[in-house]
Amino acid sequence: MSAATVGARPAGSRVLNRIVIYGLLLVFALVYLIPFFVMLVTSLKTMPEIQNGNMLALPKDPTIQPWIKAWGEACVGLTCEGIHGYFWNSIKMVVPAVAISTLLGALNGYVLTKWRFKGHKLVFGLMLFACFIPFQSVLLPMATVLGQFGQLGKVFTNAFGMNLGFGNSTVNLVFVHVVYGLGFTTLFFRNYYEAFPTELVKAAMVDGAGFFQIFRRVLLPNSLPIIVVTVIYQFTNIWNDFLFASSYAGSGDVMPMTVALNNVVNTSTGVVEYNVNMAAAMIAALPTLLVYILAGRYFVRGLMAGAVKG
Amino acid sequence: MAFLEIDRLVKRYGATDILKGISLSVEEGGFLVLVGPSGCGKSTLLSMIAGLDSISEGEVRIAGKRMNELHPSQRDIAMVFQSYALYPNMSVAENIAFGLEMRKVPKAERDKAVAEVAEILQMGHLLKRKPSQLSGGQRQRVAMGRALVRNPQVFLFDEPLSNLDAKLRVDMRTEIKRLHQRMKTTIVYVTHDQIEAMTLATQIAVLRDGVLQQFGTPAEVYNNPANVFVADFMGSPSMNLIPAAVRAENGKTVVALQREGEGDLVLDPGQAGEKLSAVLGKTVLFGIRPEAITDHDGADRNARTLVDAECQVEVVEPAGSDTFVVAHLGGKHVIARMRSDVPVRAGHRAPFTFNMDKAVFFDPQTEQRVA
Amino acid sequence: MTSIVTDRMQTPERATQRKSLRARLQEWLPKIVLAPSFAITLFFVYGFILWTIYLSFTKSKAFPSYTLTDARAYQRLWRWTFESNPPSSWYTSITNMVIFGVLYIVFCLAIGLFLAILLDQKIRGEGVLRPIYLYPMALSFIVTGVAWKWFLDPGLGLEQTMHQWGWTSFHFDWIKNKDYVIYTVVIAGVWQASGFIMAMFLAGLRGIDSEIIKASQIDGASPIQLYRRIIIPLLRPVFLSALIVLAHMAIKSYDLVVALTSGGPGGSAWLPSNFMYEYTFKRNEMAVGSASAVIMLATMSAIIVPYLYSELREKNR
Repeated sequence: MSAATVGARPAGSRVLNRIVIYGLLLVFALVYLIPFFVMLVTSLKTMPEIQNGNMLALPKDPTIQPWIKAWGEACVGLTCEGIHGYFWNSIKMVVPAVAISTLLGALNGYVLTKWRFKGHKLVFGLMLFACFIPFQSVLLPMATVLGQFGQLGKVFTNAFGMNLGFGNSTVNLVFVHVVYGLGFTTLFFRNYYEAFPTELVKAAMVDGAGFFQIFRRVLLPNSLPIIVVTVIYQFTNIWNDFLFASSYAGSGDVMPMTVALNNVVNTSTGVVEYNVNMAAAMIAALPTLLVYILAGRYFVRGLMAGAVKG
Repeated sequence: MAFLEIDRLVKRYGATDILKGISLSVEEGGFLVLVGPSGCGKSTLLSMIAGLDSISEGEVRIAGKRMNELHPSQRDIAMVFQSYALYPNMSVAENIAFGLEMRKVPKAERDKAVAEVAEILQMGHLLKRKPSQLSGGQRQRVAMGRALVRNPQVFLFDEPLSNLDAKLRVDMRTEIKRLHQRMKTTIVYVTHDQIEAMTLATQIAVLRDGVLQQFGTPAEVYNNPANVFVADFMGSPSMNLIPAAVRAENGKTVVALQREGEGDLVLDPGQAGEKLSAVLGKTVLFGIRPEAITDHDGADRNARTLVDAECQVEVVEPAGSDTFVVAHLGGKHVIARMRSDVPVRAGHRAPFTFNMDKAVFFDPQTEQRVA
Repeated sequence: MTSIVTDRMQTPERATQRKSLRARLQEWLPKIVLAPSFAITLFFVYGFILWTIYLSFTKSKAFPSYTLTDARAYQRLWRWTFESNPPSSWYTSITNMVIFGVLYIVFCLAIGLFLAILLDQKIRGEGVLRPIYLYPMALSFIVTGVAWKWFLDPGLGLEQTMHQWGWTSFHFDWIKNKDYVIYTVVIAGVWQASGFIMAMFLAGLRGIDSEIIKASQIDGASPIQLYRRIIIPLLRPVFLSALIVLAHMAIKSYDLVVALTSGGPGGSAWLPSNFMYEYTFKRNEMAVGSASAVIMLATMSAIIVPYLYSELREKNR
């Protein structure tokens, strides 16, 4: 704790001090909460109430109709089947992408710290730099390559009656997110394993454990903090991604949640149903919000301990 | 042929040699201690025996078999690490059994072996705990148990006691010695603590800067140090090393130590005189351990050459069982070890008795032994 | 002790005979495991960057063309850089980038540090407040954009609310104003990221050795001096990390502009990332889009490479 406790000072000014501090903290808390609050209450109001009422007022007659509509009936472009399909698209994309990139990151971190070879720094440096590139600089070639995958998929379909995943938008997005998430997952695990006692690895070697046995039996069981960080980080990043999603799965029923939400909001047929839009936004935000609320504490702690040096 | 042989071993990182050609050997059942200051290469040497560090040049043989290319797990060794290196996610029993599990020993046999080891180390009640629930001493025991259960040809210890507090360290030292006497397995043990080296070893190897300084029994290393470094490193308080002139007096070779404000203190070097006559007229370093400088009645009665001399006392340090008396000779502080009730006072003169049988002499330039 | 299963002794013997192949595999295994990731990075990151650079020197329009021509795409961007009246899309994008980047970073750092210092005063309820500040980071830019679009909408949002509360002269239509729309992006962006920066600073503050603080108090430093002279200088590494994180997010910001402003009136809220996307995929000017991506990458590299270099070198010691 670095809190500057003030020693001998007049009691009055100390009380005033505390009031100011708490006051400021509460004002900021309100500012951070208001947009969310507005989203929530709006999603529970009826359209007439929205058009005539106050944005900040609590709903007079709360209804979950907008949520039901957003889930099952809202129009995305021309199809009006709600966002549930896109929600599942995102789930189907995010789960494998997070799992694969985390596992690979863990293995890479393990090799880069405990099985060092000449040039390990260069390898890590190149992977690390990849974290920071603006994705615009790879967007177009990836589109071309994914197009080729699609062609390959057609060839496979003709040959074997199935495309083996080539040309499937969800598979494409999983692949893209694994490729461009590797740098971060490797960084997280490398920094964590850097501080992991090497003597344990040596002891396991003397005990006769091989490369994968050491990883599975010694490192992995002791990696929970960094696994939590990596999974949360990757989950939010991939779930929230819009650039790749809109570039490679920007239309039709393969869209992930973020793209669909943007389309719901911008669908201009008929009256704009703000309550449904807000409900859709809430649904899109729910998974990551839950993750942050449930495990945010570990995330920040682990991030500071492992990834971002401070 | 010795059991463990280390033959002209070199460890090279880039252009620098960490170890510069070390040769050592231990008989089966021996207890070899590698001792030296930090950075001398002793831990690297141990790692190379274990197979955790590669060998740049030379050979390690166990029971006549070349080990260089073998994986650590195939060398039939077990190791106790400085940090104990207990797997935090496994219970004590799992930690001990892990090496057997990796070697595909059936579960029932593993359990039996763990129970036996727990019995030997008296830690049956700890088996279900995790390492984080153990005290430092208990962790140390588990680390030893993990090595014992494998029943290897050679045990390797890497500063196993350095993380324990002083009292526990003494207890564990005794325990290790007892285990060795009971099992008679060959041990290679690394430490920077010369007392540990003296108490445990059958053979001591003193290293400095990757070079073997001396290799011998504890008594040899202690009483007949090969050079100034070994003399200074072994023993606590360390050996007095006093500049002295070698002169001929009355046809005999003597050594003379400067004293402040009075004439030189002239000592008869005893048996060393013959060798010293070769460096007549030169300066040598006169080495004598504190316990060889005593009050008159405390001197060793069997010594052949005892020399009495009066010196000015600078400091008196009672240490309970003994009293350390500091005098100023040859420009150095010289420590004598006297009996606890000896009546000396700082600032006064007192009689000192030098046991010259124990004296050793070094060349001040090369720091090698001359007599 | 010797009673413990002597027949086990044979295991290493047997293993020795098989050694050469297994041992060699074990030796190569780490590299084999790392290789796919490294190859993927080399091809899909560095290869693609080269590919993009190549495309920027072609006449690619709606489809990639692979005939190298000249630096015409860069010449156009260069010309547009100075076309301020009426502003070219590129001019708007880069001026927006500067405005957004500077304000976003400065406000996030300032608010983040301020909140962290406030929270570090032994606050009761810290456990409740911290997630409140942090949660916007969990939201996607799209959700943030949707929420703030609604909140800042002149007809339904803040302005109408103020009117209803009696402040009828209140006027806030930045989101529809081409000169001010970029500032709404700043507001939403700062709202989203400042809590995260707060968390970074808070962790940094908690990491400071409490004895240093005790020593400075004994030396008679007032709380303000304590922060100004001791604590904030000690937070230098956190500043650096936060700066890198923010600069990185600022250059990548694309979704927020899309969701909050749909590009703003006449593309007035564009950032270079939006410019790139629009020119590449919507305006069929692939070469120009690629050139703008290359410029973005070069800018990011200028910031990140020295940082990474010093980080990796530091660990060498």
